[in-house]
Amino acid sequence: MPTLDMEVTVNGRDVKRRATTQMRLLDFLRNELNLTGTKEGCGAGECGTCSVFVDGKLVKSCLMPAAKANGAEIETVEGLAKRGELTYLQRAFHKTGASQCGYCIPGMVMAATGALRENPHAGFDEIKERLGGNICRCTGYSKIFEAVELARDAMNGSLPTTALEGPGAGDSFIGNNVRRLDAPSKVTGALKYAGDMVMPGMLHMQVLRSPVAYALIKSIDISEAEAMPGVECVITADDVPGEDGFGVFVHDQPIMARGRVRYVGEAVAAVAAEDVETAMAALGKIKVEYENLPAVFDPEVAMAPGAPVLHDYAPGNIVKHIPIRKGDVEEGFAEADLVVEEDYGTQAVEHAYLEPEAGLAYVDPDGVVTVVSPSQNITHHRHMLAKIIDQPINKVRFIMSPVGGGFGGKEDMIYQGMLALAAMKSGQPVRLVFTREESIVSTAKRHPARITYKMGLKNDGRITAVEFRMVADGGAYGLSTEGVMRKAAILSCGPYDIANVKIDTYGVYTNNTPSGAFRTFGAMQAQFATESHLDICAGKLGLDPFEIRRINMMRSGALTHTKQKLGSVSLGLALDAAEKASNWESGPADVRGSSRSDLGKAGNREPCTLGSRIRASDGAGGKKDVA
Amino acid sequence: MSSKCRGRGMAASWYGIARTATIDRAGAWAEIDDGGTAKIVTGVTEIGEGILTVLAQIAAEELGVRPEDVTIGDNDTARSPEAAHAGATRQTYMIGNSVALACRDARVRLDSEIADHWGVDAGSLKAFNGEIWAEKTNLKMTMEEAVDICKKRGVVPVGSGSFTAHGTGLDPEDGSGSPWQAYVYGCQVAEVEVDTVTGEVQVLGIWAAHDVGRAINPRGVEGQIEGGVVQGLGQALMEDYKLEDGHTTTHGFAKYILPTSLDVPQINSILIEDPDPLSPLGAKGIGEPSLVPTAPAIMNAIYDAIGVRITSLPATPEKILAGLVAKRERQGTRRHAAE
Repeated sequence: MPTLDMEVTVNGRDVKRRATTQMRLLDFLRNELNLTGTKEGCGAGECGTCSVFVDGKLVKSCLMPAAKANGAEIETVEGLAKRGELTYLQRAFHKTGASQCGYCIPGMVMAATGALRENPHAGFDEIKERLGGNICRCTGYSKIFEAVELARDAMNGSLPTTALEGPGAGDSFIGNNVRRLDAPSKVTGALKYAGDMVMPGMLHMQVLRSPVAYALIKSIDISEAEAMPGVECVITADDVPGEDGFGVFVHDQPIMARGRVRYVGEAVAAVAAEDVETAMAALGKIKVEYENLPAVFDPEVAMAPGAPVLHDYAPGNIVKHIPIRKGDVEEGFAEADLVVEEDYGTQAVEHAYLEPEAGLAYVDPDGVVTVVSPSQNITHHRHMLAKIIDQPINKVRFIMSPVGGGFGGKEDMIYQGMLALAAMKSGQPVRLVFTREESIVSTAKRHPARITYKMGLKNDGRITAVEFRMVADGGAYGLSTEGVMRKAAILSCGPYDIANVKIDTYGVYTNNTPSGAFRTFGAMQAQFATESHLDICAGKLGLDPFEIRRINMMRSGALTHTKQKLGSVSLGLALDAAEKASNWESGPADVRGSSRSDLGKAGNREPCTLGSRIRASDGAGGKKDVA
Repeated sequence: MSSKCRGRGMAASWYGIARTATIDRAGAWAEIDDGGTAKIVTGVTEIGEGILTVLAQIAAEELGVRPEDVTIGDNDTARSPEAAHAGATRQTYMIGNSVALACRDARVRLDSEIADHWGVDAGSLKAFNGEIWAEKTNLKMTMEEAVDICKKRGVVPVGSGSFTAHGTGLDPEDGSGSPWQAYVYGCQVAEVEVDTVTGEVQVLGIWAAHDVGRAINPRGVEGQIEGGVVQGLGQALMEDYKLEDGHTTTHGFAKYILPTSLDVPQINSILIEDPDPLSPLGAKGIGEPSLVPTAPAIMNAIYDAIGVRITSLPATPEKILAGLVAKRERQGTRRHAAE
């Protein structure tokens, strides 16, 4: 591999290192200089987590070849402040709670630093635009904006620096805006996520993934890959010593495909080698013979007789059906003055946490198989892995590394099993870091759902009956589908007191990317339909949206759709609070946007007009480019 | 006539706290440590929601130390009691309450020694912010001194806690059951601007009122609401994981569009505290519930603005424009029929 001698200044120090010509600046900083505060989020210049300054200009270091930075002065998040100190901006991020998972935060701090260097008096809209190249999935950006404005004002002296300090003890630490204890480690890039961790003798894993949606695996030949210099082991389903299967509810997914692949991106084999490049090259030497099977991509088709069957235990492809029955819906509809029917659809959604999956596994000197990963459920993963590797439960140890965003997407044990098997087979620590593309194709999504809704109401707005049917695409494996169907069903018809309900939710196997846990666990899809439907009905009855909800809302002591007697119900408080805070003007839900008088008042943000708000800094003259 | 139409919509929501339709449990250990510091051990770490800070606040409040004196470890199945998963809006409720119980247990040990040392009733002891005192006396010392005295008397002030949430399974025929012991409710109002030429929707304001039981860290709760709202906005307007015969066509962030700083409205959070009567802290949760009403509130606002009902997410510019065309055709037909 061609190399070149790099001479750069990094955070004020001269550095000489040999780099390969294919190395990105990001790799050079992280792997050669161990400056892991600069994170990789997408590898494509889209997310900004890898932002650094090169000769004072903000760049995305995943897009810059290291060679191109030769001779340059580089500044990373580690160099912004002296060790043990924080810049004004970092302090402001700490103060406002601008970091949550923290993975995007080093890049965000760099972009914000760039914004205020460019224009120390940048206004709100300019700050917003200058952060436009950095994605954050946790915070909703609001506390980040607040932090940048706070830092700007403290730096300009229009606010005292005490504004950056935390609150006092007051009378209690409950209800107190105590500053996040983990923030300093996040705003400085000091916190190590799994992909930042290294161990002596550590191997690097790469995963061979299915290129087809549904096929029999006729054969896997790993001999050539195994024989490659630098390759320590190749693993397939044959290496699983115990009962192979994981999932949050039903354990239907093997660690690696066993006899059949059921979706594009499913793991088929994995290589552990002395470096990533060798592992990747070895993947190309693994020969897999597939025999395509007829696949099914639509859940309604998958439920129909004669559809291809994905899992032998579920001949109708139903992962889970949850029925809820209360009262008599036919009577309820007969009693209604108005019956409204509508269909709703929601799409598959990617979690898009900024930290792609990563993990590190090793077997400790006492023979304990240890997996370090950003798992959202180490307790359950330990149980499952013990069975899979046929070990007593105390010989399996899971350590939860800082999670760079989860949202349910890291509840599935989608790669930890491969790491454990490779560590057991090679006897060495093994690390796997997903690329963004790998994360997107191989991990769970929010269940796409189709909902059929029928609601009966009296003229006064009272709901007499609801019939609710949801069919959700569970994809190729069960993961959390059962639980998602349950929660969707329980919460489906919303917090409304309805005497007659008939609810059915179905999670269905298809050859699509599996669906799994995602923040709200089915409740979002179901309540999107209910809340849209209520407005449609309110429009037909000439009712205000708040009014129709108040008429029907559950009150303290009400029976839920599953006939649970509730204690205190705070819905009325929430309706009152939102109506009052927004200064809502009452009126029927019937396209009154052009006539209502409560629009454009306090509490809104100005509409965004891209690029128009970047102003030249004082005295500099002319338009500045956004780096 | 301007091509920009504004409108408002609202939506309500409900949500259950902790694991669904089953018993939920979590454990924790606590130790009041040398120097008036504290150790809290439970098998979970931060996924970004702020749980470590919340646990430190709870421990500080219960033990009488300061949050910065609390060390939280150890997210490790071999070194800490079971906490189970970081999800289901269960962290503050399950882990928070188990930490509170563990701290109370440790305080019983400490207080018993200190009460004996001072010759007062243990019930008269109060501790806060690094100091412990006996009410209605002038007896007061630092927690550092208190731990020292306790240990010199041969006692390490440790404690443990286990918290249970009693959900029951659903009947397989009619679904009846009590899936959660704590519920939360919320309501959001959205104000949008729709460009009828391009079909683009901008959300300008969100008013989000959510019951959280008791806000341990109000700023942290706001952060959860803001994050949830923006994820809801992403799903409402732009995010769409697409497949063609099982192959994704949205394999990176250039194709899978996420909300950026330019897409976010002003988010106005209103916290409602209706305390949970079944747990020591009264706190419930907010992680997931904050996302639920956002997309329907935005769809209802779009309808209010332009009279187009989007029933299939996301509300892309293409769907908005198609909806406007269909609406014009409907109106045209109606006019035609009326003539």
